[in-house]
Amino acid sequence: MLRAFSNSCWMVAASLLFLHSAPPSPAAELDDARFKALLAELEPADEPWRTIPWKIALLDAQRAAAQEGKPIFIWAMDGHPLGCT
Amino acid sequence: VLDRASTFAQPEIVELLKTQFVPVAIDQAYQRRQQDTEGEFYRKIAGQGPRSNFNSTTQGFYIATPAGKLLLYNNNRNPEKVLRLMREKLAEFRRAGTADVAAIEAAKTDAKYNARPPEGGLVVRVRAKVLDGYEPTTDRWQRIFQTALSRDNLWVTKREHEALVQDELPETLARRLARYHLVDNTRGEPPMWKADEIRKLDLQLNDGQIRGAVHLETKDGSRGYQAELLGVVQVDGGRVVGLQLVADGQFWGDGPYTRGAPDGQFPLAIAFTLADGSQVADAIPPQGSRGWAPGYLR
Repeated sequence: MLRAFSNSCWMVAASLLFLHSAPPSPAAELDDARFKALLAELEPADEPWRTIPWKIALLDAQRAAAQEGKPIFIWAMDGHPLGCT
Repeated sequence: VLDRASTFAQPEIVELLKTQFVPVAIDQAYQRRQQDTEGEFYRKIAGQGPRSNFNSTTQGFYIATPAGKLLLYNNNRNPEKVLRLMREKLAEFRRAGTADVAAIEAAKTDAKYNARPPEGGLVVRVRAKVLDGYEPTTDRWQRIFQTALSRDNLWVTKREHEALVQDELPETLARRLARYHLVDNTRGEPPMWKADEIRKLDLQLNDGQIRGAVHLETKDGSRGYQAELLGVVQVDGGRVVGLQLVADGQFWGDGPYTRGAPDGQFPLAIAFTLADGSQVADAIPPQGSRGWAPGYLR
Protein backbone atom coordinates (compact mmCIF):
# COMPACT_ATOMS: atom_id res chain seq x y z
CA MET A 1 0.00 0.00 0.00
CA LEU A 2 2.85 2.29 0.89
CA ARG A 3 4.45 1.54 -2.47
CA ALA A 4 1.17 2.28 -4.28
CA PHE A 5 0.90 5.57 -2.42
CA SER A 6 4.50 6.39 -3.26
CA ASN A 7 3.93 5.63 -6.94
CA SER A 8 0.86 7.81 -6.97
CA CYS A 9 2.83 10.67 -5.46
CA TRP A 10 5.49 10.31 -8.12
CA MET A 11 2.86 10.35 -10.84
CA VAL A 12 1.30 13.50 -9.40
CA ALA A 13 4.73 15.11 -9.04
CA ALA A 14 5.66 14.14 -12.59
CA SER A 15 2.37 15.57 -13.86
CA LEU A 16 2.98 18.83 -12.01
CA LEU A 17 6.53 18.98 -13.36
CA PHE A 18 5.20 18.43 -16.85
CA LEU A 19 2.61 21.18 -16.40
CA HIS A 20 5.27 23.61 -15.22
CA SER A 21 7.81 22.77 -17.89
CA ALA A 22 5.39 22.50 -20.80
CA PRO A 23 5.74 25.51 -23.06
CA PRO A 24 2.75 27.84 -22.87
CA SER A 25 0.47 27.72 -25.83
CA PRO A 26 1.01 30.64 -28.18
CA ALA A 27 -1.33 33.60 -28.01
CA ALA A 28 -3.81 34.22 -30.78
CA GLU A 29 -2.25 36.25 -33.55
CA LEU A 30 -1.96 39.85 -32.45
CA ASP A 31 -2.95 41.66 -35.62
CA ASP A 32 -4.21 45.21 -36.05
CA ALA A 33 -7.85 44.28 -35.44
CA ARG A 34 -7.09 42.44 -32.19
CA PHE A 35 -4.79 45.29 -31.13
CA LYS A 36 -7.65 47.77 -31.45
CA ALA A 37 -10.13 45.42 -29.81
CA LEU A 38 -7.86 44.90 -26.81
CA LEU A 39 -7.21 48.62 -26.43
CA ALA A 40 -10.96 49.15 -26.28
CA GLU A 41 -11.45 46.19 -23.91
CA LEU A 42 -8.91 47.64 -21.48
CA GLU A 43 -10.37 51.15 -21.39
CA PRO A 44 -11.90 51.82 -17.97
CA ALA A 45 -15.64 52.22 -17.74
CA ASP A 46 -17.30 55.25 -16.18
CA GLU A 47 -17.39 54.08 -12.61
CA PRO A 48 -18.65 56.09 -9.60
CA TRP A 49 -15.35 55.95 -7.68
CA ARG A 50 -13.63 57.79 -10.54
CA THR A 51 -15.95 60.77 -10.05
CA ILE A 52 -14.76 61.33 -6.46
CA PRO A 53 -12.22 64.19 -6.26
CA TRP A 54 -9.52 62.10 -4.58
CA LYS A 55 -6.38 63.81 -3.42
CA ILE A 56 -3.23 61.71 -3.32
CA ALA A 57 -1.27 63.55 -0.62
CA LEU A 58 -2.46 63.67 2.97
CA LEU A 59 -1.10 67.18 3.55
CA ASP A 60 -3.05 68.45 0.53
CA ALA A 61 -6.15 66.92 2.08
CA GLN A 62 -5.34 68.46 5.47
CA ARG A 63 -4.94 71.88 3.87
CA ALA A 64 -8.28 71.62 2.06
CA ALA A 65 -10.02 70.25 5.16
CA ALA A 66 -8.69 73.12 7.30
CA GLN A 67 -9.85 75.69 4.75
CA GLU A 68 -13.26 74.14 4.13
CA GLY A 69 -14.00 73.00 7.69
CA LYS A 70 -14.51 69.38 6.64
CA PRO A 71 -13.28 66.07 8.02
CA ILE A 72 -10.69 64.08 6.08
CA PHE A 73 -11.63 60.67 4.68
CA ILE A 74 -8.53 58.52 4.16
CA TRP A 75 -8.61 55.44 1.91
CA ALA A 76 -5.35 53.73 2.87
CA MET A 77 -4.39 50.51 1.15
CA ASP A 78 -1.44 48.23 0.43
CA GLY A 79 -0.62 49.42 -3.06
CA HIS A 80 -2.17 52.64 -4.26
CA PRO A 81 -5.98 52.49 -4.29
CA LEU A 82 -6.12 54.53 -7.50
CA GLY A 83 -3.26 52.67 -9.09
CA CYS A 84 -1.68 49.26 -8.59
CA THR A 85 -4.83 47.16 -8.46
CA VAL B 1 -10.48 46.55 -6.37
CA LEU B 2 -13.22 45.40 -4.00
CA ASP B 3 -13.66 48.86 -2.51
CA ARG B 4 -14.06 50.48 -5.91
CA ALA B 5 -16.88 48.15 -6.85
CA SER B 6 -18.59 48.07 -3.47
CA THR B 7 -18.09 50.95 -1.00
CA PHE B 8 -17.28 53.59 -3.60
CA ALA B 9 -20.04 52.48 -5.93
CA GLN B 10 -22.67 53.38 -3.31
CA PRO B 11 -24.27 56.64 -4.55
CA GLU B 12 -24.78 58.18 -1.07
CA ILE B 13 -21.19 57.46 -0.07
CA VAL B 14 -19.95 59.00 -3.32
CA GLU B 15 -22.09 62.08 -2.73
CA LEU B 16 -20.90 62.46 0.88
CA LEU B 17 -17.29 62.20 -0.21
CA LYS B 18 -17.82 64.79 -2.94
CA THR B 19 -19.55 67.32 -0.72
CA GLN B 20 -18.97 66.74 3.01
CA PHE B 21 -15.48 65.23 3.28
CA VAL B 22 -12.05 65.82 1.80
CA PRO B 23 -11.24 62.39 0.32
CA VAL B 24 -7.65 61.23 -0.03
CA ALA B 25 -6.37 57.90 -1.37
CA ILE B 26 -2.93 56.68 -0.33
CA ASP B 27 -0.65 53.68 -0.45
CA GLN B 28 -0.06 53.51 3.30
CA ALA B 29 3.17 51.57 2.73
CA TYR B 30 4.59 55.02 1.94
CA GLN B 31 3.06 57.14 4.68
CA ARG B 32 3.70 54.73 7.54
CA ARG B 33 7.39 54.70 6.62
CA GLN B 34 8.23 58.12 5.27
CA GLN B 35 10.25 60.32 7.61
CA ASP B 36 8.70 63.68 6.85
CA THR B 37 5.74 65.90 7.64
CA GLU B 38 3.32 63.86 5.54
CA GLY B 39 4.36 60.63 7.26
CA GLU B 40 4.23 62.20 10.71
CA PHE B 41 0.68 63.44 10.15
CA TYR B 42 -0.43 60.03 8.90
CA ARG B 43 1.14 58.21 11.84
CA LYS B 44 -0.44 60.71 14.23
CA ILE B 45 -3.88 59.76 12.87
CA ALA B 46 -3.34 56.02 12.38
CA GLY B 47 -1.55 55.70 15.71
CA GLN B 48 -4.80 56.52 17.52
CA GLY B 49 -6.45 53.47 15.98
CA PRO B 50 -5.99 49.73 16.31
CA ARG B 51 -3.29 49.51 13.64
CA SER B 52 -0.61 51.51 15.38
CA ASN B 53 2.28 49.13 14.63
CA PHE B 54 3.90 50.86 11.69
CA ASN B 55 6.03 47.84 10.85
CA SER B 56 3.00 46.19 9.33
CA THR B 57 0.02 47.25 7.28
CA THR B 58 -2.28 49.98 8.53
CA GLN B 59 -4.73 49.70 5.66
CA GLY B 60 -8.36 50.65 6.05
CA PHE B 61 -10.64 53.69 6.07
CA TYR B 62 -9.92 56.57 8.45
CA ILE B 63 -11.95 59.68 9.24
CA ALA B 64 -10.02 62.45 10.98
CA THR B 65 -10.34 66.12 11.79
CA PRO B 66 -8.02 68.61 10.06
CA ALA B 67 -6.10 68.77 13.36
CA GLY B 68 -5.40 65.04 13.14
CA LYS B 69 -7.86 63.70 15.69
CA LEU B 70 -9.02 60.25 14.67
CA LEU B 71 -12.79 59.95 14.53
CA LEU B 72 -13.02 56.52 12.92
CA TYR B 73 -10.99 53.56 11.81
CA ASN B 74 -12.83 50.92 9.80
CA ASN B 75 -11.74 48.05 7.61
CA ASN B 76 -15.18 46.75 6.72
CA ARG B 77 -16.35 46.86 3.12
CA ASN B 78 -20.07 46.65 3.75
CA PRO B 79 -21.36 49.84 2.07
CA GLU B 80 -24.34 50.14 4.41
CA LYS B 81 -22.09 49.99 7.45
CA VAL B 82 -19.58 52.44 5.97
CA LEU B 83 -22.38 54.87 5.10
CA ARG B 84 -23.82 54.68 8.61
CA LEU B 85 -20.40 55.28 10.18
CA MET B 86 -19.68 58.18 7.86
CA ARG B 87 -22.95 59.88 8.81
CA GLU B 88 -22.34 59.30 12.52
CA LYS B 89 -18.80 60.70 12.37
CA LEU B 90 -19.85 63.66 10.25
CA ALA B 91 -22.46 64.55 12.88
CA GLU B 92 -19.86 64.13 15.63
CA PHE B 93 -17.46 66.38 13.74
CA ARG B 94 -20.12 69.07 13.37
CA ARG B 95 -21.20 68.86 17.00
CA ALA B 96 -17.62 69.47 18.11
CA GLY B 97 -17.48 72.62 16.01
CA THR B 98 -14.88 73.51 13.45
CA ALA B 99 -12.25 75.37 15.39
CA ASP B 100 -9.72 77.21 13.27
CA VAL B 101 -6.98 74.83 12.26
CA ALA B 102 -3.99 75.97 10.28
CA ALA B 103 -2.78 74.17 7.20
CA ILE B 104 0.28 72.07 7.93
CA GLU B 105 3.28 73.12 5.90
CA ALA B 106 5.66 70.42 4.76
CA ALA B 107 8.79 71.12 6.81
CA LYS B 108 10.49 67.89 5.69
CA THR B 109 10.16 65.78 2.55
CA ASP B 110 11.49 62.22 2.48
CA ALA B 111 12.92 61.88 -1.03
CA LYS B 112 12.74 58.08 -0.87
CA TYR B 113 8.95 58.24 -0.75
CA ASN B 114 8.34 61.31 -2.88
CA ALA B 115 9.48 60.17 -6.29
CA ARG B 116 8.38 62.30 -9.21
CA PRO B 117 8.16 61.35 -12.89
CA PRO B 118 11.48 61.92 -14.67
CA GLU B 119 11.93 65.47 -15.95
CA GLY B 120 11.58 65.43 -19.73
CA GLY B 121 10.31 61.86 -19.65
CA LEU B 122 6.90 60.30 -20.13
CA VAL B 123 4.18 58.73 -18.02
CA VAL B 124 2.37 55.81 -19.60
CA ARG B 125 -0.85 54.34 -18.23
CA VAL B 126 -0.78 50.56 -17.85
CA ARG B 127 -3.90 48.44 -17.53
CA ALA B 128 -4.20 44.67 -17.29
CA LYS B 129 -7.12 42.30 -17.53
CA VAL B 130 -7.60 38.55 -17.35
CA LEU B 131 -9.64 37.80 -20.46
CA ASP B 132 -10.81 34.28 -19.63
CA GLY B 133 -10.13 31.17 -17.61
CA TYR B 134 -11.98 31.72 -14.34
CA GLU B 135 -14.53 29.20 -13.14
CA PRO B 136 -18.02 30.68 -13.37
CA THR B 137 -19.20 32.05 -10.04
CA THR B 138 -22.21 33.73 -8.54
CA ASP B 139 -20.15 35.11 -5.66
CA ARG B 140 -20.24 38.89 -5.84
CA TRP B 141 -16.71 39.42 -4.54
CA GLN B 142 -15.20 36.78 -6.78
CA ARG B 143 -16.90 38.34 -9.79
CA ILE B 144 -15.33 41.69 -8.93
CA PHE B 145 -11.88 40.09 -9.00
CA GLN B 146 -12.62 38.14 -12.15
CA THR B 147 -13.60 41.23 -14.11
CA ALA B 148 -11.06 43.62 -12.57
CA LEU B 149 -9.09 46.07 -14.66
CA SER B 150 -5.82 47.05 -13.00
CA ARG B 151 -4.01 50.40 -13.28
CA ASP B 152 -0.36 51.34 -12.91
CA ASN B 153 2.01 53.86 -14.49
CA LEU B 154 5.17 53.24 -16.48
CA TRP B 155 7.80 55.95 -16.23
CA VAL B 156 10.04 56.71 -19.20
CA THR B 157 13.26 58.68 -18.68
CA LYS B 158 14.27 61.71 -20.70
CA ARG B 159 16.99 59.73 -22.48
CA GLU B 160 14.52 57.00 -23.38
CA HIS B 161 12.00 59.58 -24.54
CA GLU B 162 14.62 61.08 -26.83
CA ALA B 163 15.42 57.62 -28.21
CA LEU B 164 11.74 56.95 -28.95
CA VAL B 165 11.65 60.21 -30.89
CA GLN B 166 14.57 58.81 -32.93
CA ASP B 167 12.56 55.63 -33.63
CA GLU B 168 14.63 53.58 -31.21
CA LEU B 169 13.45 51.52 -28.25
CA PRO B 170 16.16 51.43 -25.58
CA GLU B 171 16.87 48.16 -23.80
CA THR B 172 16.48 49.86 -20.42
CA LEU B 173 12.89 50.75 -21.28
CA ALA B 174 12.12 47.30 -22.70
CA ARG B 175 13.48 45.62 -19.56
CA ARG B 176 11.61 47.97 -17.19
CA LEU B 177 8.42 47.40 -19.11
CA ALA B 178 8.87 43.63 -18.91
CA ARG B 179 9.99 43.35 -15.30
CA TYR B 180 7.55 45.72 -13.64
CA HIS B 181 4.60 46.00 -15.98
CA LEU B 182 4.01 42.65 -17.67
CA VAL B 183 2.48 41.36 -14.45
CA ASP B 184 -0.94 40.15 -13.35
CA ASN B 185 -1.96 42.82 -10.84
CA THR B 186 -5.69 42.31 -11.27
CA ARG B 187 -6.21 40.72 -7.83
CA GLY B 188 -3.68 42.63 -5.70
CA GLU B 189 -0.03 43.55 -5.42
CA PRO B 190 1.85 41.28 -7.82
CA PRO B 191 5.35 39.85 -7.62
CA MET B 192 7.57 41.63 -10.13
CA TRP B 193 9.96 39.70 -12.37
CA LYS B 194 13.59 39.28 -11.42
CA ALA B 195 16.19 40.14 -14.03
CA ASP B 196 17.03 36.48 -14.63
CA GLU B 197 13.37 35.59 -15.11
CA ILE B 198 13.39 37.29 -18.48
CA ARG B 199 13.78 34.24 -20.72
CA LYS B 200 13.17 36.17 -23.93
CA LEU B 201 12.67 39.84 -24.65
CA ASP B 202 12.54 40.97 -28.24
CA LEU B 203 10.99 44.41 -28.64
CA GLN B 204 11.71 46.51 -31.70
CA LEU B 205 10.57 49.95 -32.84
CA ASN B 206 10.63 50.61 -36.57
CA ASP B 207 8.84 53.37 -38.48
CA GLY B 208 6.74 54.14 -35.43
CA GLN B 209 5.55 50.57 -34.95
CA ILE B 210 6.47 48.41 -31.97
CA ARG B 211 6.56 44.67 -32.43
CA GLY B 212 7.92 41.99 -30.22
CA ALA B 213 7.58 38.96 -28.03
CA VAL B 214 8.38 38.18 -24.45
CA HIS B 215 8.77 35.10 -22.31
CA LEU B 216 8.98 35.63 -18.55
CA GLU B 217 9.16 32.71 -16.18
CA THR B 218 10.28 31.97 -12.64
CA LYS B 219 13.07 29.50 -12.11
CA ASP B 220 10.70 26.82 -10.82
CA GLY B 221 8.25 27.46 -13.65
CA SER B 222 5.36 28.13 -11.30
CA ARG B 223 4.63 31.57 -12.74
CA GLY B 224 5.16 32.92 -16.23
CA TYR B 225 3.92 35.03 -19.08
CA GLN B 226 4.47 34.51 -22.75
CA ALA B 227 3.09 37.21 -25.01
CA GLU B 228 3.25 39.06 -28.27
CA LEU B 229 3.41 42.84 -28.28
CA LEU B 230 2.17 45.30 -30.85
CA GLY B 231 2.05 49.08 -30.67
CA VAL B 232 2.52 52.48 -32.23
CA VAL B 233 4.53 55.56 -31.28
CA GLN B 234 3.55 58.95 -32.68
CA VAL B 235 6.08 61.78 -32.71
CA ASP B 236 5.45 65.43 -33.40
CA GLY B 237 7.62 68.48 -32.79
CA GLY B 238 10.46 66.45 -31.34
CA ARG B 239 8.43 64.68 -28.68
CA VAL B 240 6.23 61.65 -28.32
CA VAL B 241 2.60 62.70 -28.57
CA GLY B 242 1.01 59.28 -28.75
CA LEU B 243 1.91 55.80 -27.58
CA GLN B 244 -0.25 52.71 -27.63
CA LEU B 245 1.03 49.23 -26.93
CA VAL B 246 -0.68 45.94 -26.21
CA ALA B 247 0.74 42.74 -24.75
CA ASP B 248 -1.41 39.73 -25.49
CA GLY B 249 -0.52 36.30 -24.21
CA GLN B 250 -0.80 33.45 -21.77
CA PHE B 251 -0.06 33.89 -18.07
CA TRP B 252 0.18 31.19 -15.43
CA GLY B 253 0.58 31.22 -11.67
CA ASP B 254 0.06 33.88 -9.01
CA GLY B 255 1.78 35.49 -6.02
CA PRO B 256 1.27 35.78 -2.25
CA TYR B 257 -1.07 38.77 -2.70
CA THR B 258 -2.66 37.75 -6.00
CA ARG B 259 -4.09 34.38 -5.05
CA GLY B 260 -7.01 33.00 -6.97
CA ALA B 261 -5.68 33.06 -10.51
CA PRO B 262 -7.38 30.75 -12.99
CA ASP B 263 -5.94 27.23 -13.07
CA GLY B 264 -3.22 26.61 -15.61
CA GLN B 265 -2.63 29.09 -18.38
CA PHE B 266 -5.03 31.94 -18.92
CA PRO B 267 -5.15 34.86 -21.36
CA LEU B 268 -3.87 38.13 -19.91
CA ALA B 269 -3.83 41.36 -21.91
CA ILE B 270 -1.94 44.49 -20.87
CA ALA B 271 -2.44 47.87 -22.53
CA PHE B 272 -0.10 50.86 -22.43
CA THR B 273 -1.31 54.34 -23.40
CA LEU B 274 0.39 57.71 -23.04
CA ALA B 275 -0.88 59.66 -20.03
CA ASP B 276 -1.81 63.30 -20.46
CA GLY B 277 -2.05 64.26 -16.79
CA SER B 278 -5.82 64.58 -16.91
CA GLN B 279 -6.36 61.79 -14.39
CA VAL B 280 -5.27 62.08 -10.77
CA ALA B 281 -3.85 58.55 -11.03
CA ASP B 282 -1.37 59.80 -13.65
CA ALA B 283 0.64 61.27 -10.77
CA ILE B 284 1.02 58.02 -8.84
CA PRO B 285 4.48 56.46 -8.89
CA PRO B 286 4.78 53.02 -10.48
CA GLN B 287 4.17 50.16 -8.08
CA GLY B 288 7.57 48.76 -9.01
CA SER B 289 9.30 51.97 -7.91
CA ARG B 290 8.02 51.89 -4.34
CA GLY B 291 10.82 53.06 -2.10
CA TRP B 292 13.53 52.74 -4.76
CA ALA B 293 12.74 54.85 -7.80
CA PRO B 294 16.40 55.00 -8.89
CA GLY B 295 16.49 51.21 -9.08
CA TYR B 296 13.26 51.14 -11.05
CA LEU B 297 14.58 53.71 -13.51
CA ARG B 298 18.00 52.10 -13.86
